[in-house]
Amino acid sequence: MSALLTVRGLSAGYGPIEVLHGVDLDVQEGQVAVILGANGAGKTTMLRAISGMIPRTGVVDFNGQSIIKTAPERIVSLGVAQVPQGRGTFTDLTVDDNMRAGAYVRHDHEVVSDLALWYETFPRLKDRRSQKAGTLSGGEQQMLAIARALMSRPKLLLCDEPSLGLAPLITKALFQTIQRLNEQHGLTVLLVEQNANLALDIAHHVCLLETGLIIAAGSPAAIASDDAVRRAYLGA
Amino acid sequence: MKELLQYILDGLSIGSIYALIALGLVVIYRGTGHINFAQGEMALFSTLVTWWLHDKGVPLLLAIAISAALAFVGGALIDVGLMRPAGRRSAFAPVVVAIGLFQGLNSLSGLLFPKSGQGLPFPSLFPNKPKDFVSIFGAAWRIERIGVLAVVLVTTALLFVLFQKTKIGLAMRTVANDATSAKLVGVPTNRILMFSWALAAVIGAIGGALKAGIDTNVSIGSMFSVFLLSAAAATLGGLDSPGGAVIGGLSLGVIESLVGNYPHDWPASDWIGIKTKTVVAFLIILIVLLVRPSGLFGSSRVERV
Ligand SMILES: Nc1ncnc2c1ncn2[C@@H]1O[C@H](COP(=O)(O)OP(=O)(O)OP(=O)(O)O)[C@@H](O)[C@H]1O
Ligand SMILES: [Mg+2]
Repeated sequence: MSALLTVRGLSAGYGPIEVLHGVDLDVQEGQVAVILGANGAGKTTMLRAISGMIPRTGVVDFNGQSIIKTAPERIVSLGVAQVPQGRGTFTDLTVDDNMRAGAYVRHDHEVVSDLALWYETFPRLKDRRSQKAGTLSGGEQQMLAIARALMSRPKLLLCDEPSLGLAPLITKALFQTIQRLNEQHGLTVLLVEQNANLALDIAHHVCLLETGLIIAAGSPAAIASDDAVRRAYLGA
Repeated sequence: MKELLQYILDGLSIGSIYALIALGLVVIYRGTGHINFAQGEMALFSTLVTWWLHDKGVPLLLAIAISAALAFVGGALIDVGLMRPAGRRSAFAPVVVAIGLFQGLNSLSGLLFPKSGQGLPFPSLFPNKPKDFVSIFGAAWRIERIGVLAVVLVTTALLFVLFQKTKIGLAMRTVANDATSAKLVGVPTNRILMFSWALAAVIGAIGGALKAGIDTNVSIGSMFSVFLLSAAAATLGGLDSPGGAVIGGLSLGVIESLVGNYPHDWPASDWIGIKTKTVVAFLIILIVLLVRPSGLFGSSRVERV
């Protein structure tokens, strides 16, 4: 097994404020890695630093290639897609146009067949394909955000708190979808969550992020048996 | 009744030029969230270049095409050289730079084309002699006016195909909707903005030539009132809506024409007429904006400017 994403000593922040203080992370190809952390821990900042949306220093290697100096739109075309916190769908555009925008970096002729594939996977989106994305429910928008990201044919999907604002049943279905994408389509996933119970169920590897530092990392079983973690994230 | 039809066509024709320039404003507004105060003077400069080329013996249509191509490059350079560096400093700086560009281009026009102060004779693109009209529904419709309207409608249709049916149009719409998410799906937002500026400049070159053709004259002050009315048309339509810009421009032209031709023997004709046509047009816009703050077709994200 090899690391698809290798992060070493990654620091990033906003203007003069450093939020992420040199974090290390490996995401193995074909696995689901989860970053757990409280509000303000720097989870979103970490994903933004990986996808190049904010200035960063350190080492970020993707698929054996350094992307620390690479522009965000180029990183997408290398195979890293990000589903941002709050979904980031194009609310004024139709579901169809959102999906096509997801394929912006592609130049092959299989965009239409991929569109059909993901509409099959997310039939509710297909029913609403000519509707503006802003008129979808929260759960549907989250599905759209993920489907849009998949349209770029990513090797690695970065997913920022997909459960935010969703009812427990919908969240559960969403995690099942992510697991299915991982198992059936071989998609590697880096998932950020506060919902530890569900995230630990589908994770192969878990990191704990606290005030910009990774304070623990390991298998879900090991992390779940840690007393401090149970108190902070599992409500036990 | 005959006259009414004629006034409406006249209004649609001049209004179509407002609509075109308003489209240029909307293209920039959607990408940047700012009104491009230099839109009118960009059009003026291109029109003077067209005049110069034609004066040197280049056929008019070719002169417009060359000038539009130069405008494309010039618009892109304005973005890369002025707007983008300004935008890096502060969110408001591009507005100030655009106002400076307005002044700068106007002065440069005066320097490079000294006689443009008094006005330079500009050929009409269409037959415009008194005999050049067709009769439709009993009204005399001037061929020139029909021609201008047709050119604008075709240009507008092409722009809508660009926005709705092409990949670059889709990219422009994603940037307009949410620039951060556009980056996240891999849209090179800077290049899209550069293209938007280039496109707005080309729109200006076409609109300026049409306006100068109607006036058979181009002078330093030609485009200022066009810019004001186009900005009003864009605001009326809703600043971020291309369809709104077109409807806004056309209705503004018609309102102006109808008010300007208000009969002298009708009530309040001291107040409504050629002298007050623009004031009345602005009053109507004001009333619309009081009822619909984001314009007729604008999304509610459009802030007050
Ligand atoms: N655009 C920004 N400008 C300045 N500071 C920011 C910005 N975004 C986040 N921060 C700061 O960075 C720190 C980490 O924020 P971040 O969004 O990464 O946290 P998070 O772990 O994703 O939290 P949450 O679970 O609430 O989403 C916070 O202190 C926050 O105030
Ligand atoms: Mg966050």
